[in-house]
Amino acid sequence: MKKQKNLLLWKMLYVLIMIGIGYGVYASSKSLSYNWRWERIPQYLISFQPTDINAPFDGSVESVNPKEHKIVLKSDSGQTFVVTKYDKAIAHTGDLVFEGDTVATIKGWHLGSISWGLVMTLKISAVALVFAMIIGLFTGLARISHNPVLRYLSVTYIEVVRGTPLLVQIFIFYFFIGTVLNLDRFTAGVAALAVFTGAYIAEIIRAGIQSIHPGQMEAARSLGMNYIKAMVYVILPQAFKRTLPPLAGQFINLIKDSSLVSVISITDLTKAGREVVSSTFAPFEVWFTVALLYLVLTGSLSWVIQKLEKRLSASD
Amino acid sequence: MTNPILKDSIIVADSVEKIYPNGCHALKKVSLNIQKGEVVVIIGPSGSGKSTFLRTLNQLETISDGTIHIDDINLTHKETNINKVREEVGMVFQSFNLFPHKTALGNVMLSPMKVLKKSAKEAEAEAKDLLAKVGLADRMNNYPSHLSGGQQQRVAIARALAMSPKIMLFDEPTSALDPEMVGEVLDVMKSLAGGGMTMVVVTHEMGFAREVADRVVFMENGELVFEETPDRFFESDNQRLQRFLGQVL
Repeated sequence: MKKQKNLLLWKMLYVLIMIGIGYGVYASSKSLSYNWRWERIPQYLISFQPTDINAPFDGSVESVNPKEHKIVLKSDSGQTFVVTKYDKAIAHTGDLVFEGDTVATIKGWHLGSISWGLVMTLKISAVALVFAMIIGLFTGLARISHNPVLRYLSVTYIEVVRGTPLLVQIFIFYFFIGTVLNLDRFTAGVAALAVFTGAYIAEIIRAGIQSIHPGQMEAARSLGMNYIKAMVYVILPQAFKRTLPPLAGQFINLIKDSSLVSVISITDLTKAGREVVSSTFAPFEVWFTVALLYLVLTGSLSWVIQKLEKRLSASD
Repeated sequence: MTNPILKDSIIVADSVEKIYPNGCHALKKVSLNIQKGEVVVIIGPSGSGKSTFLRTLNQLETISDGTIHIDDINLTHKETNINKVREEVGMVFQSFNLFPHKTALGNVMLSPMKVLKKSAKEAEAEAKDLLAKVGLADRMNNYPSHLSGGQQQRVAIARALAMSPKIMLFDEPTSALDPEMVGEVLDVMKSLAGGGMTMVVVTHEMGFAREVADRVVFMENGELVFEETPDRFFESDNQRLQRFLGQVL
């Protein structure tokens, strides 16, 4: 590669522009006289609030033993409930307790609601991705099959899915298909995302397969492989390598598109963000945080795929 | 016929017709009998149907009419498992068609493992033997992109041989090679012929035809015009053949 002249100068210009943009954001928030309250955000990521241990029934506290960290509750009907681990006892021996009363608390950390949203987004995207790949692979193969029925079906599927908005599809999956098949929200959301992304992956895979020289199939077949073996061992590995960059783009789209499932009340990262905004009144901070978390997800995915690409390029 | 080996026909093509959907009449009543162990070279101008005919022999090209028997198996019969036949008919292509995502060794091992269900160990040992035989013992772990054309074609030959075929088809194996690499590939083919392999070779290498072939076939316009032993073939006064040879020699 030719060495770029004055590289340092260009880098400095880049940094300068980035600082300028940052200052622009800062200045515009100033002009709104917005009060930044970043300190409200961390508790929604990870929280160190003690967890309550509640009484499971109405009854009384039979004993509190701070040395052994043991509390024994007895219900009115004679059942016993033993707390074997706690950090701070709230009830005292002989207290009357009612179901749901806090008898002790235990220290520790747990994920905040934004983090749970992130986990949900990750889960939905991962499951949808697996199914989208399967749907895409088979539709892509059907699209180039010699059987007209398979071809027509796959073209219809691809055109219908690509021609309608994902948001509308999610509603259809949840309210219509979900009702008919009795699907829960998570399944409906995953199905909508997988079916949507599958159509795009199908086209990517079709293009990838068609870009492989026909001589490869002929060579494989002339060695006695049947069509499926030739596809699995010869054509698809090459097509996969070639389609990795567009597939990566589609996977990243999938993660971002998953934010739309919040409309059917799945508490993903976006919905968690909305809920946190309404309890903190700190919309800018929350949305910046949410955006950053999406960026972390998509960024790590592209990083992994870049590594994979590098490894596969050994044969170039 | 008095020739005793004629009973040992391994390829019998009878009145083979090929008409493409676009109406192109590629093969016109081509009949050819090939004996076990025979080396047959097919020559002819481009577009004469010689490659098409070769490709019908392992059904990479279907035929419109006529019959082809390989080792007494009717290729066009409904119940024939063409994959079984192809295991016995190796093919080498003009453009090598090596699998670019596999090393030379991987190329040779793939089909024995996946089709013949050989263990990786056994397939590897055999593949190493074959690659050594074609002179590539030191290039086994190279990917095709790191091999010269001549080396790639030799890997392709080893790959076809790994299935222990009874017949080898060569479709202009040296046409895509730089001149200095033609020799190494022809040498491998010669030693293969010397080992008694049945070979059908489409080529423009007249020297190879003269030296190695048991029989030379001349095709033109989809017809099999003329077939003869090499000595008589090149001495023949057949008009069409003379015109073609005048152009290439």
